[in-house]
Amino acid sequence: MSMVIIIISIFNIEFYAVVPSIPCSRLALIGKIIHPQQVIHSFVHAIMGMLVTWCATVMTKGRFQFLAVSCTPSEGLEDAVPQMCLNEYHLFFLLSGAFLGYSYSLFYLINNMNYLPFPIIQQYKYLRFRRSLPLLIKHSCVESLHFVRNFCVTYYFFGYIPKVWICTTMDLHTDGKLHPLDTLSGLLDLSLFYHTWLSGVFLLMTWYIAWLLFKIYATESHHFPIQPTFAQETDQCLPKILNSNPPLLIKFLALQDLMLLSQYSPVRRQEVFSLSQPGGHPHNWTAISRECLSLLSDLTQRLIAQQEAAAAANGRAKPPVGELKVPPQTPGAAGIEDMSFQSQSSPALNYKMGVVDIKSPWHGPVQSPHVMRRGPKLWTSVSDQQMNGSHHESFPVLSAARTGTEAVQPRFIYTWLQNKQEQIKTFLSKRALIMYFFSKHPEASIQAVFSDAQMHIWALEGLSHLVAASFTEDQFGVVQTTLPAILNTLLTLQEVVDRHFKLPHVSSKPPRISGSLVDTSYKTLRFALRASLKTALYRITTVFGEHLNAVQVSTEHKKRLQQFLEYKE
Amino acid sequence: QLSVLLSLQLTSEDMIAAFSQAVDWAGCTVRAFAWHPHTNKFAVALLDDSIRVYNSNSATVPSLKHRLQRNVAAMAWKPLCASILAVACQSCVLVWHLDPTSLSTRPSSGCAQVLSCPGHSPVTSLAWAPSGERLLSASPVDTAMLVWDVSTETCVQLQWFGGGGVTYLAWSPDGSKVLAATPSAVFRVWEAQMWTCERWPTIRGRCQTGCWSPDGSRLLFTVLGESVIYSLSFSEYRGEMQGQVGGSKTASIVADLSETTFETLYGEERIGGEVHSMVWDPTGERLAVIIRGESPNSQPAVAVFRTRNSPVFELLPCGFVRGERGARPQLISFHPCFPQGALLTVCWSSGKISHIPFFFVGALEPHASPRRSPVPVLGSVREQPLFSEL
Repeated sequence: MSMVIIIISIFNIEFYAVVPSIPCSRLALIGKIIHPQQVIHSFVHAIMGMLVTWCATVMTKGRFQFLAVSCTPSEGLEDAVPQMCLNEYHLFFLLSGAFLGYSYSLFYLINNMNYLPFPIIQQYKYLRFRRSLPLLIKHSCVESLHFVRNFCVTYYFFGYIPKVWICTTMDLHTDGKLHPLDTLSGLLDLSLFYHTWLSGVFLLMTWYIAWLLFKIYATESHHFPIQPTFAQETDQCLPKILNSNPPLLIKFLALQDLMLLSQYSPVRRQEVFSLSQPGGHPHNWTAISRECLSLLSDLTQRLIAQQEAAAAANGRAKPPVGELKVPPQTPGAAGIEDMSFQSQSSPALNYKMGVVDIKSPWHGPVQSPHVMRRGPKLWTSVSDQQMNGSHHESFPVLSAARTGTEAVQPRFIYTWLQNKQEQIKTFLSKRALIMYFFSKHPEASIQAVFSDAQMHIWALEGLSHLVAASFTEDQFGVVQTTLPAILNTLLTLQEVVDRHFKLPHVSSKPPRISGSLVDTSYKTLRFALRASLKTALYRITTVFGEHLNAVQVSTEHKKRLQQFLEYKE
Repeated sequence: QLSVLLSLQLTSEDMIAAFSQAVDWAGCTVRAFAWHPHTNKFAVALLDDSIRVYNSNSATVPSLKHRLQRNVAAMAWKPLCASILAVACQSCVLVWHLDPTSLSTRPSSGCAQVLSCPGHSPVTSLAWAPSGERLLSASPVDTAMLVWDVSTETCVQLQWFGGGGVTYLAWSPDGSKVLAATPSAVFRVWEAQMWTCERWPTIRGRCQTGCWSPDGSRLLFTVLGESVIYSLSFSEYRGEMQGQVGGSKTASIVADLSETTFETLYGEERIGGEVHSMVWDPTGERLAVIIRGESPNSQPAVAVFRTRNSPVFELLPCGFVRGERGARPQLISFHPCFPQGALLTVCWSSGKISHIPFFFVGALEPHASPRRSPVPVLGSVREQPLFSEL
């Protein structure tokens, strides 16, 4: 049992992600399911499930205990030799365990349970655990019921396969006296149902508790020192971590710590505003503000790119469905790169092609060599084993990349290739089945753009609280010099976000399901981003008030700042 | 078990009337009042379940109506925002997102966000965090206080057993502590960083009302059935004491408001009794109190005190506010950022709302109000001798 728990925990740790990977099309979803990593995950969970139920059966004793029991054959022979018969109940249990394990794994994948949501308020770990426990128990019971019901149906149809297989391999006989379980009368056994359900509850509860504890420990706020007191701590201090490229979870924890220190810790704020000895440079503040501003401008660029893509798509005739796209394998980010890739291509494509079919609903990710040279290569995972058929999306990309790097290749072959691809795509777009798989779900693609917005929300809060606190606490004026840059970035981002929310589907809220164990807060991160952006701007304008008129910003931004000062935004 | 008893015996209207900060919530025209924290705008909730927003800069008066907006018990504007108003209704919390520049008199109900949680109704009290990110909502039948993240519509339930639901919430202006009063003889003070709480049992009744000093170091509160004002001091928030509220061991009485006779120009007046609601102005200089008379047919009165919080706490009687003949005070509130002193708003039972200014120069320059023209800080120069009732 403990081994099972340990293995489950290892899987939790291996598979966690702070940024949810949101499949944008049905094919992406299928791709996610068939991915080898996921297959191993499901397989191991199935085995674990079987192990757990085996333990449960051993503990229960009684009729479920052994796979093979002795029984007498039904025909009343005088010299009846006791034979070993298959204890179908035991087999039922083991298979239910395997099915439960597999369903858990599938559920885990589809609901993005590997996503680590950070809590909206800080609480001690024990209190958080205690708070989630009743919901967890209720959820396990209900889910176990669903899974057992599904399993009964599956067993009814396919139960004979494992039965026959075990009987032949282990040379057991079926006991004629008992009802075979894969019939309706066999399955309506209430005691069996109750035992299976109970073992399911036990299994799910232990797994969910392991998952919950992992989540609570991983998202606990960690205290990063600002000034290293010892030499070996230099790598752990906050400005250093923010500027290097640490694993995503560390970056998230660092930003969360920044947010907390900016609100609650005057001592650490002083350290942020301090100057270095000797030299008098505000290294800490520069590092922190630079990182936060680069995060925010990066988001601005991403959103602008996506808006241009949407504008280009609307510039053609209204497409009935979305665009063809390679299912993103890397979390969230690949989808975004795809978008910017396509946006760079669209104006170039429009200009160059001319022969592009107006009715074609997509513009492929092929690039003209000009644009290729201009931007960095964004494509990461080019090979996709899952993609069946000849319409390999990676192929034109790969060819484009190669064409781009060579740069002096005759464009004739290239354009001919592109033409062919356009024709194939147009042909396939007429096939409804292909479109069913490839059509991008608009809500999912919007969520994918904002999937790592939690980082930006914390950066905004941390930065604005520090700027607001600097009005009274900054002795050397280190913040004042960066104030124009901060205001510019924030105002630009706010404009872009407001424009983004005017796109279709972006401002509609997904339906809220309360009382579920699974956290779906990643679906509404964009609203939180918009709200905290506004609050950050208001925080700065409320504290500085009329003094903001002395800060050097462009006239347009000055006008918007005036709106903020008058509380008219 | 108290919450079960409560829900069996009282209807939700009775509950709201019993725990509301308005003197006569059930019968009076004005049910709730809220000033916007940064501008000259306020919202008034009326008997017909509508809310009117009055703005000194514009002549239009938007009227907010929603099918779920019934039995409004409290309202609160979101800090650091132009116009987002949270309304505590019968079955949910409505958050109105109004357009500050719009001239429409009837904003559509699509502007309202519905935040509801099963078992959390009626909602009687709301409090926004001063940093504007979280909204707390409380209901007398729900033992859990809800912490909402409004934009994602998610909530965290802070459950604590003992004492029944939560009737009144007050967040300290520095954002560090929250007072949560319950229907039984105990109230809690939460610290807002790690959300741990301290429990304060009272002697006789439940905590009726409370207000914080501007720096969050002192809580003044009153208890139902007693005509005194208590004071509870807290150690100054340093940020390094995580998870500790830091309250002192006992509360001390700072004012005794039992009935006394005053000689006035019109004859003798008897004023005094239990306190119904209490507000402290944001500079920490004036405290206003609605005193319900001890005899059943006596009129409630509004008393104003002059206060100072540092270096020692002082509370001196300043005067009484009288309305028109026969008008009873319903609700009181101070303007959150009046530059020339303090502005007390009183809602009367006749449906009138009056604003009474107090012009003075504060002893301390308050933080974060650079909108006022720089006023020379005179320090604590006063003409009267200083004496304290402590």
